[in-house]
Amino acid sequence: MIRIFPSLRFTSLLSAAKPLCSYSPAREPPQYASFTEAKSSPQTNSLSITPKTPLFLRTPSHATSLSEVWKWHDWAKDLASSVEESSTNSEDILDSVILHRELKWLIEDSIVDDPLVILHKSEIADNGEKNVKLRASLEELYDLWRQRIEKRRPFQYVVGCEHWRDLVLCVEEGVLIPRPETELIVDMVEELVARDEWFKKGFWADLGTGSGAIAIGIAKVLGSSGRVIATDLSPVAIAVAGHNVQRYSLEGMIEVREGSWFEPLKGLEGKLVGLVSNPPYIPSDDIPGLQAEVGRHEPKLALDGGIDGTDSLLHLCHGASRMLQRGGFFVFETNGEKQSKMIVDYMMSNDLKDCFSDLKIVSDFAGINRFVTGFRL
Amino acid sequence: MLSLIIRRSRSRFINGIKIRTIFSSCNSLSYPDSSSSVLVSRRNFNSTPASSYFGFNSGKISYSESNFVSTTRSLSSEAVAVATTCDGLTVERIIANQWPILDENESDWKSHAAAISQSIQVIKRRLQWKKLLVRLNVLSAELNKPDLWNDPIHAGKISREHGSLTGKMKGVMTFERELLEHIDMLKLAKEEDDSELESDTLKALMDMRRVSKEKELEALLSAENDPCSCYIEVQAGAGGTESNDWAFMVMEMYKTWAQRRKFSVTVVDEAAGEIAGIKRATIKVNGEYAYGYAKAEVGVHRLVRISPFDSGKRRHTSFAAVAVIPILGDGSTRVQINDSDLRIERFRSGGAGGQHANTTDSAVRIIHIPTGITATCQNERSQHMNKASAMAVLQSRIDQLEMARQTAMNAQHTQSLTEISWGNQIRTYVLHPYRMVKDLRTNYEVSDPDSVLEGDLDGFILSFLSSSLDKDDPEH
Repeated sequence: MIRIFPSLRFTSLLSAAKPLCSYSPAREPPQYASFTEAKSSPQTNSLSITPKTPLFLRTPSHATSLSEVWKWHDWAKDLASSVEESSTNSEDILDSVILHRELKWLIEDSIVDDPLVILHKSEIADNGEKNVKLRASLEELYDLWRQRIEKRRPFQYVVGCEHWRDLVLCVEEGVLIPRPETELIVDMVEELVARDEWFKKGFWADLGTGSGAIAIGIAKVLGSSGRVIATDLSPVAIAVAGHNVQRYSLEGMIEVREGSWFEPLKGLEGKLVGLVSNPPYIPSDDIPGLQAEVGRHEPKLALDGGIDGTDSLLHLCHGASRMLQRGGFFVFETNGEKQSKMIVDYMMSNDLKDCFSDLKIVSDFAGINRFVTGFRL
Repeated sequence: MLSLIIRRSRSRFINGIKIRTIFSSCNSLSYPDSSSSVLVSRRNFNSTPASSYFGFNSGKISYSESNFVSTTRSLSSEAVAVATTCDGLTVERIIANQWPILDENESDWKSHAAAISQSIQVIKRRLQWKKLLVRLNVLSAELNKPDLWNDPIHAGKISREHGSLTGKMKGVMTFERELLEHIDMLKLAKEEDDSELESDTLKALMDMRRVSKEKELEALLSAENDPCSCYIEVQAGAGGTESNDWAFMVMEMYKTWAQRRKFSVTVVDEAAGEIAGIKRATIKVNGEYAYGYAKAEVGVHRLVRISPFDSGKRRHTSFAAVAVIPILGDGSTRVQINDSDLRIERFRSGGAGGQHANTTDSAVRIIHIPTGITATCQNERSQHMNKASAMAVLQSRIDQLEMARQTAMNAQHTQSLTEISWGNQIRTYVLHPYRMVKDLRTNYEVSDPDSVLEGDLDGFILSFLSSSLDKDDPEH
């Protein structure tokens, strides 16, 4: 079947990551379970795409003297501290407190030794003559930090990964960076399957999976008998999601299929026990005003939800009625407040009337009515 | 007597019960008021002919056998028996004799015995010996109740505590008896003119003397939660930047102290000051006895210096409050928290969130509605992990509150930040006009503030721990 990486290369990458990868997935060579072999849907476009290797998984092949690294660190700190004064747009500015935290994480991801060597320089006796091993050249680190601040490149693209729930997911341009709010979708599924074992056995689908975050989170809470199909229209997303699935050795549980929404799910009508999605939901008019990191760098395909942002959501509502089994569960992420109410109203009217029960709006930790959930009648 | 000794050495291999009966007439656990057995045994020993002593030059065997004697009575008896030598010497009498304590390398058994006895006394005081014995009796009575296991959680707690206290008590009793046996052995060796045995025994005493110093330190950390990991929290006092900077320095001091002690440190929560330093911060210190040591730091720390933030170069006094919270192990009974009592909040700058925002800031605050206790974490890289960390802090704070409630009577708990009054100063750090760090509780002082601020705190911690335990026991 289609595998983006030859397994040999893959394992060598993983073993190189050992010292820093704290919540690392299993490092054994991927096991090709029968589920993967039985894949039917072709992934023609994604064949040629090789996901980028995130910083923390790279080989530490750059040795630099500690004093040079300190110099870089001081420079990076100064740059981070000065962002607020130098900003012209008062609406959308970087926060230096957050930047300092990101700088600490950048060091964690790029240095092999204890990051404290850099952060607590006063305690080191020798005067920085010692060599430290880095996963990127110092030159690249200067460049990466400049991109972060001057180009507003999202930190997660800079380091090539996002920590999400207890996972470390590879991300790159072309794939939406999973948001903290979305973690709650997995929490809801976890709660549901803890209450009712029935949900552990059937097929789940994560539509527009992006990095594969939700699919992987759900597969982990479903346990060994779980089956998740993750779809995405974007070939880059398919390649990255496949890579992430493989990193967590979940090929036996998660199948990544390329295609628009329900298209890759042919033959599963009325068979799903669960359906989850974080579809594009931002109204088209809001796209130009987005935060620089989002608007300038993240894929429009994953953000733009049409005129009122509900194009994909409405499509998902109809699909949910068709694809879910009786008693099947769904949760969709929305733009909040008005939109979530709209979706609930929509699902209680017209031809979707009598399709769903227990429709609920669930808010995120910031108190925004973020999710719509319910069950197929 | 000849026959007694021979029988003793033979019967070791033949009949265990016999050993016990014979042995107990000599090296026994006798009650202070029953001096008759002591007299008998002394007479026996005095008349021992030199030739009778053979096959008995291994001091080590005798320890293990005498352990056997020891444990049989102490648990059940109302008053704990006192170990004596054959001629009635006890640890207390050794101390009362006031034998001079010479250097460790001097081969003087009296000096060794006096040093070890003093250590035993210190250890007992630190373990709060009298209280420990009373508590042990209470626990034994509780354990004997037939309906104990109707409440398995309570029963588990009782039997754990009983096990731990018994272990401590036995440890001291064995050590004490070992000392007295060595003394018996030494006297015997002198009488028998057995120089090999004499030097062996002296060496054994010297070893005990070294071990006893370690045991003294161990006894400092014998409270129930001392082995736990902990959170250390620092809160800046009033005074803006200058005291925020001081709070930062205090937190750095603990971070390096913990690293030196080979504890692992993670920052859980940190609120930066406007210009410099921190308003408040929480770190997690992982490692054996982290709480036992760190609890000595609870209170207000005062700094006197020329402020680098004052263009007028005036002298400033700033304060920082320190709280220490134990992270209870799985074995302890922890307070059950209902999900419905929690409110989880995410900080946000008021934006639309979701796909609109890309931020690495996934800080979470959890509020326990019934108690109003909150916990915050923003240093993890995912919201999920921040929530888990904050939840762990919250759990420990609530556990601490519960402990405080339960032990309000004997004031054994460490205070939380909110309970610490700013008047409760424990230590002063003076950088100007002179240089000194002084603990106001123990008067322990150091003239090099830099070393202290770089984490060299053990002197302060140990002196406080020993002084607080010495104070606790009115007997001494």
